[in-house]
Amino acid sequence: MIDNNQTFNNEILVKVNNVYKDFGKVKVLKGVSCNIKKGEKVVIIGPSGSGKSTMLRCMNLLETPTYGEIWFEDKLLTPVDPYLHFDIIRQSNTYKQLIVNEKDKNPDLTDEQLDEQVIALIKKDDLLKKREGKEFKLAEKKFYNENYLDVNLTRRKMGMVFQHFNLFNNLNVLDNLTLAPVQLKLKTKEQAEEKAMELLCRIGLEDKAKVYPSTLSGGQKQRIAIIRALAMEPDVMLFDEPTSALDPEMVGEVLALMKELADDGMTMVVVTHEMGFAKEVASRIIFMDEGKIKEENSPQEFFANPKDERLKEFLSKVL
Amino acid sequence: MVIWQMFVDSFITQGGYKEALKGLAVTLVTAISALIIGIILGTTIAFILLSKSNNPLVKTLKIFFKGYVAFFRGTPIAVQLLFIYFVIFPAIGLGLLKAEIVGIIIFGLNSGAYVSEIMRGGILSVDKGQTEAGRALGLSSVQTMLKIIIPQAVKNVIPTIGNEFVSLLKETSVLSFIGVMDLTKAFREIGGGNYEYTIPYLILALAYLILVYIVTNIVKNIERRMRASDRQ
Repeated sequence: MIDNNQTFNNEILVKVNNVYKDFGKVKVLKGVSCNIKKGEKVVIIGPSGSGKSTMLRCMNLLETPTYGEIWFEDKLLTPVDPYLHFDIIRQSNTYKQLIVNEKDKNPDLTDEQLDEQVIALIKKDDLLKKREGKEFKLAEKKFYNENYLDVNLTRRKMGMVFQHFNLFNNLNVLDNLTLAPVQLKLKTKEQAEEKAMELLCRIGLEDKAKVYPSTLSGGQKQRIAIIRALAMEPDVMLFDEPTSALDPEMVGEVLALMKELADDGMTMVVVTHEMGFAKEVASRIIFMDEGKIKEENSPQEFFANPKDERLKEFLSKVL
Repeated sequence: MVIWQMFVDSFITQGGYKEALKGLAVTLVTAISALIIGIILGTTIAFILLSKSNNPLVKTLKIFFKGYVAFFRGTPIAVQLLFIYFVIFPAIGLGLLKAEIVGIIIFGLNSGAYVSEIMRGGILSVDKGQTEAGRALGLSSVQTMLKIIIPQAVKNVIPTIGNEFVSLLKETSVLSFIGVMDLTKAFREIGGGNYEYTIPYLILALAYLILVYIVTNIVKNIERRMRASDRQ
């Protein structure tokens, strides 16, 4: 019997599966995988250019992965990556051809060993071609149709907070908070405004409801950007260096709000350089370098016993 | 003073002022209607040209509108008037349309080509983060465009659209190529009555100058008000 409680705690919200991302010739992500479970607070750190923001932005498809898949709950957001699905590989002409070839070479192998060997070979040498026959195409399409969900629907459940706040300059604060819920017909205008005022009161900025973003301080902007995401009642919040563009004296108020969210049980993925925040709030820390995940651990272990050489060097510089 | 007397004769005694007023109305109506058509058309075209969609319909439209923009920006408006009024419209069964209406349509199409370039620049000048924030909240690209990007782009391009209106206003002076009685044509007739053109053309030039001055000031006013709303 499966322990129900256990499965609930391990419910995966976001699954990044073997994602590669190229910008032209520059390879930014070179095969990263990670699962974000419900209630987790994952902090991603790493030197600049390590691909941490890109990985975060891949989670809600602001960047489209070149290879690999992104899943949210049990829904596929990207096209199918056949290399991740053996059942699909088995339908390909290349697979069928190789099975015949390998069988000739090693007649003693069992079918299972043969299958394993051929799949390993295909994955290792990237052997799938553009055209792999009708059955392959059908299998791919079937899998896609069964699992795919339009990313616009998923993004409603993934709040995102940007380094440069990105409040809508043409709308006042209240309209910034109500635009998406009203446009997407999730709430009536009255309901949305009520919720927005409640959130503004929570961060003590209710008197700013009618002003335009250009009159606010950086800290105020970022806190409003956070509650703009919260107004959608998301299941997970993604933070892309939320304090990097702030004056030092305003970092505290934003981190305090994020801590409050964490304490309320929000699932969070945070790309940041704030080591104090990582230590205090994270349930897991991921270290990225050169487009790969180099180390992944609980905060205690992560800071006390770093194993990766690059991480040791990084920590010695930032701590 | 003889030429002044001749002008008064044809302008007032013979009722030339009525034609002048009618011509002024035609010039204004054509320019304003063309600008409105141009803004709607140009914004739509800009949106389609900037779209990254792989939809085959969008791709076809892109090619079509690229050709459209190339034609209307690459040929003189007088040629467009002649070609469309005397060749294209009769060929597609619109030969009986009133010349005034055809004028509005052609100036609208012409303006659409220019405004599409202006709007494209305006849309590109809006920070990419604004689009990302909209999309990250789950808004579609059309919703993000309409509610967030275009309002900001419009604010950025108001001075340029003002310029576009000024040139439209002046370019309507070639409407007589298809027989429309606009401001210029009216004054040509006034002068033609007694072959004395000095005063009529002087006044004609002044009339355009004053129109342009008024429009420029209106645009400046709108611009100032829009900037003020930023700092509310």
